[in-house]
Amino acid sequence: MKSNVKKKTRASVFFNRCGIRCKVLFHKIGVAIVNFFRRMRAKIKATNARVKEVLTQGNGKVSASMLIMGLGQLLYKQWIKGCLFLAAQVGFILYFVFRGAKDFIGFFTLGVRESNAWYGIEGDNSVIMMLMGILSIIAIIFYIVLYVANVKDAYRIQSAVDTLKQPQTFTEEMRSLLNRNFYKTAMVLPILGVCVFNILPIVFMIVIAFTNYGGEIVPPALIDWVGFANFGKILSLGQFASTFFHILGWNLLWAILATALNYFAGLGLALLLNKKCVKGKVFWRLFPILAYAVPGFITLIAFKYMFSYGGPINQMITQAGGTAIGFLDIDAKWMARGIGLFVNAWLCVPSSMLLATGILSNLNADLYEAAKVDGANAFRQFTRITLPYVLFATMPVLISQFIANFNNFGIFYFLRGGLYLPEYFLASDTDLLINWLYNMSIDNNYYSIGAAISIIIFILTSVISLSVYVMSPSYKQEETYQ
Amino acid sequence: MKKNIVALSSHIAVLLAVILTVGIVGSIAAAKSGSEGANKFTGELEHGATLRILENDTAIKQGYLGELIAAFNQKYAEYGIKAVDANMDQYTDLENDGPFGYGPDVLYQANDRLMRYPDGKHILPLPVETLSCYEQVSEKAWQSYTNVVGGESYVFGVPVNAQGPLLYYRKDLLPENWETEWDDDKNGVPDMIEYWTDMYRYSKQVKTQNGGKKFGYMRSFLEPYFSVGYLYSYGGYTFGNNNTDPSDIGHSAGNAHLGAKVIRQLASVMDERCIDDSVTTGAYAAIASGEFFATVTTPDVYTMFIDEMVAAGMSREQAEENLVTVTMPKLPASGDLTDESQGFVDNKMMGGVQGYAISSYTKYPNAALAFVDFATSYEMVLRRNELLGIVPARGDVAEQVGGLSEIINGNLENGNIVVMPSIKENSQIWTPLQTLFQDLAKDAFRTSDIKYDTEDKIKAALKAVDKQIYDAIFTLKD
Amino acid sequence: MKKKGGLLVRKAVDATLTYAILIVVCAIFLFPILWLVLASFSKTGSIYSFKGFFPAQYSFDSFRKLFTDTDMYNYPKWFANTLIVSLGSSVIGTALTILTAYCMSRFRFKSRKAIMKTTLVLGMFPSFMAMTAVYLLMTQFNMINNHFGLILIYSAGAPMGYLTQKGFFDTISYSIDEAARIDGASNAQVFARITMPLAAPMIVYTLLSSFVWPWSDFILPKLLLKNKELYTVAVGLMSLDNTEFSRFAAGAVFIAVPIVIFYFGLSKFLINGLSAGAVKQ
Repeated sequence: MKSNVKKKTRASVFFNRCGIRCKVLFHKIGVAIVNFFRRMRAKIKATNARVKEVLTQGNGKVSASMLIMGLGQLLYKQWIKGCLFLAAQVGFILYFVFRGAKDFIGFFTLGVRESNAWYGIEGDNSVIMMLMGILSIIAIIFYIVLYVANVKDAYRIQSAVDTLKQPQTFTEEMRSLLNRNFYKTAMVLPILGVCVFNILPIVFMIVIAFTNYGGEIVPPALIDWVGFANFGKILSLGQFASTFFHILGWNLLWAILATALNYFAGLGLALLLNKKCVKGKVFWRLFPILAYAVPGFITLIAFKYMFSYGGPINQMITQAGGTAIGFLDIDAKWMARGIGLFVNAWLCVPSSMLLATGILSNLNADLYEAAKVDGANAFRQFTRITLPYVLFATMPVLISQFIANFNNFGIFYFLRGGLYLPEYFLASDTDLLINWLYNMSIDNNYYSIGAAISIIIFILTSVISLSVYVMSPSYKQEETYQ
Repeated sequence: MKKNIVALSSHIAVLLAVILTVGIVGSIAAAKSGSEGANKFTGELEHGATLRILENDTAIKQGYLGELIAAFNQKYAEYGIKAVDANMDQYTDLENDGPFGYGPDVLYQANDRLMRYPDGKHILPLPVETLSCYEQVSEKAWQSYTNVVGGESYVFGVPVNAQGPLLYYRKDLLPENWETEWDDDKNGVPDMIEYWTDMYRYSKQVKTQNGGKKFGYMRSFLEPYFSVGYLYSYGGYTFGNNNTDPSDIGHSAGNAHLGAKVIRQLASVMDERCIDDSVTTGAYAAIASGEFFATVTTPDVYTMFIDEMVAAGMSREQAEENLVTVTMPKLPASGDLTDESQGFVDNKMMGGVQGYAISSYTKYPNAALAFVDFATSYEMVLRRNELLGIVPARGDVAEQVGGLSEIINGNLENGNIVVMPSIKENSQIWTPLQTLFQDLAKDAFRTSDIKYDTEDKIKAALKAVDKQIYDAIFTLKD
Repeated sequence: MKKKGGLLVRKAVDATLTYAILIVVCAIFLFPILWLVLASFSKTGSIYSFKGFFPAQYSFDSFRKLFTDTDMYNYPKWFANTLIVSLGSSVIGTALTILTAYCMSRFRFKSRKAIMKTTLVLGMFPSFMAMTAVYLLMTQFNMINNHFGLILIYSAGAPMGYLTQKGFFDTISYSIDEAARIDGASNAQVFARITMPLAAPMIVYTLLSSFVWPWSDFILPKLLLKNKELYTVAVGLMSLDNTEFSRFAAGAVFIAVPIVIFYFGLSKFLINGLSAGAVKQ
């Protein structure tokens, strides 16, 4: 009786704590949102003030820069910079005249004339128009950024001249780009590349969710904007919701298990190989490297065959007198899931081991010495020194691995593709959301619905992982291990 | 200050003007190109044309494409026309490549694949009456390349090769006393080759006698292409109205459940390998080693078996003597492989027709048509048959080579080979059917939770599959 | 004395356990690879003539065919193509990634946190259709059937994974940088002369991982390379007829060779970590 009470109180304390934590969390989120808007307002105010300042205080040369980029700089005899700005403007206008304007308008119309290849009529391809339209918008944004920088720059020169200071020379500015502003120089190319090859496709997909692209409506047919109709359709279909939650549950479980398994197996292996007593490290490390060296899809094909009814494992079982096991067949729900985890670990542990090795090599050995002097055993050394350090250095990686596992398309596509089970709408019990999306969008052509679902998934996953990331020490205290 | 704003707005005005002009000029330019001529087949061969031909890998490997191109180039050298290997993946998707100019000019693919293209007008309707093979190709074969686009019926491809499954067996592995014990009708043909009931009985015997190490009939059920025929044989069909109406899905129609029962029963005399596809390519070696007595597959892989048999130690003549191909045995009308009392029905099978089509994006439609005409001529189809062992869709060639070609063409004619649906929706049937057949085959090996022990359960499963296919096609279609 | 003996025993037990685990782990990693290697030496070309785990007969035929029978499947050409694409993407991609990571770790600028969050979030998008977008984009840039197009995509995408490298830079002490800066070095010089050598293990890791990605990727080259002559090994192997299993296996085994060489050549950097001594000033 007594112990029961105790248990109860314990439980209630626990739940109370949870409640308090939740409250605190919600409160924090609320504060964060309010703060965000406050900051935005302050920012907008500041920007307005600056714009006003430039517009009212700027002299003729600054206005010249407003009219034609770089003109003001030229008037101040800043030849090279002036010419660069001018060239940028000429380049943009040329782009806009020859391509950009058409693309920009096309983004809104999505085409007016259908092509007909039989009669050689080259009409509008809505999908291309959508894509190039987004590209033109990105170009316009770049141009605006450059334009603002140009006006600001002219104003800065004016202020310098007005206060009788020598404005920075071109060489000085170049030098600052290698020094104080080194990051600007270094990040131009990466950002450009990421914008075109990563952001553009993602925006493209987001945009597709608001069109009727898919089914019968694929080029040469013209595509239209439909607003939120696709989201409405998803909500109104019962089959969707049940399949979605079925798969989501498994998908989360999978992502957590797979990430943890790969991470700790990789770390463990790296630690094992780092031990002083292990001789011939290069040799031992070769085995995981071999696994890493064979292309993943080939390994997956090999694994699928190994686990099939005619594969070597079953051959050995039957030769030993047993009955063949359907490792991946229609009834093999949890077995197939387990094999998926194993195969995924087989594929990912080598690279996670390499990474851990690299990180560990940078760990300060003095820490261990100190711990040894304090009499800490190996386990304590691991939990107190190694793990926090590695976690700190790899937290972002851990999150990106979680996401990669969450969206791991290949494993079950190769191991157990081509299966629709009755409780699922166009999916099987091992399929992850991304496989389901693939089944719907690629196999069944429902591009816009697939895109709409992927937005929903995206919101879900990004909220989870972003909050984990923002709360992690590697984001909060980047300088811990300095 | 005011001056600045004026300057800014004039700047914007210039930009707007530029945008508008470009837009207008663009649309004028676009309108002009619309008035180009309608019929591309004028009969005038385009001088200097280079045709990119997409053929299947077997034709390239066995050297047929090389011969075809050489012969064509020699004949058309005087017109300045040349054909080359497109050098692309044999399953290349014209829908993706064509509009951007990366596709081939002439394609050789199966009818289910080629007939996905007409909806987007990716392949040209062909004036097939002008081709030399027109009279020789059967109505059924032409039908598989006919489709209605925009209310009018067109022919989009030229059939070259009919395909349907055949039974392959090892004559030397027949029981020694087959003439007395396994030929009840005394027609000199072993019963197991004629009737599935006897094949079942024989397979069961082989399996028990060899302790599950050797098998009579063996074939994976996973591939719908080879399994859906059992449903067809008892009244099932894929799409209604001769495979043209996707809203009517009929794998559960008629007594199709009897076919499903046959699958389940047949699986029990094989082993678990019939559930997944691990025996599909393994069959060549297994037939060669004598592990399997018989299997079912398409005629074009005949040489694979022979090669494996030679590798296993037979001489080529011996191998060709021992390996026999025949049409499918008959099924019991009762749907029970141990009950012959109600007589027999034909085993219908799914088949396909492969042929040529011309890309709408070709610059040389007339030269391409000339190529198709040349490649479907009597000589070339005959040569194709010699090199690749295909079944010619041309009646005259089929008659000339006789044997299997005649039988398959006959089966195509009498409906025992049901050509795969030539509509886009066909791509939705594979996964649901594949799941069903896997489930049925697996059921023969389930020790607990047996799913399909009654006919009602089977019927329900078939209905569910039809609904699944329907959903895949229509749920999200407006 | 007694204590010492106990320590020795414990050490021996520890070593035995360690080796036991290592052997098991390595066996798990080796098993499928060994099977693939055996398959590549199988005589008949079909995996189905295996006796259990082992092929019935062995021969070098599939390797010989791989390099001599090139009419249909030009493996040497594919190999060269893959090498070009992988080397190109690896070098450019690593440069971009390291630069990005360095900047994100060492500089504090306005939009830094925003960029960090955005990149993290972007990676979360289930981008199954991004490939379509990339394909269409490349048709517009006229880069289909072009290895450079592939290199461009791979290396442009590489900086997205900068977080790993940033985490590493975060663990390198600032004090060295500052000392150098006091001596008058610019940030660019600090990066080139001090950070780079310290980050050698990470650079090697990045090089290796951005080499492996194009090396084994199948989807992107399949989409962008139409012409069989331009195929990379991954696409080429997938186009092999499924009766050619031993050739497939031979191709798969051989493609692992450069990675293993790469590994042996660079393992010194990876493992000892040049920085091990330098970091703890």
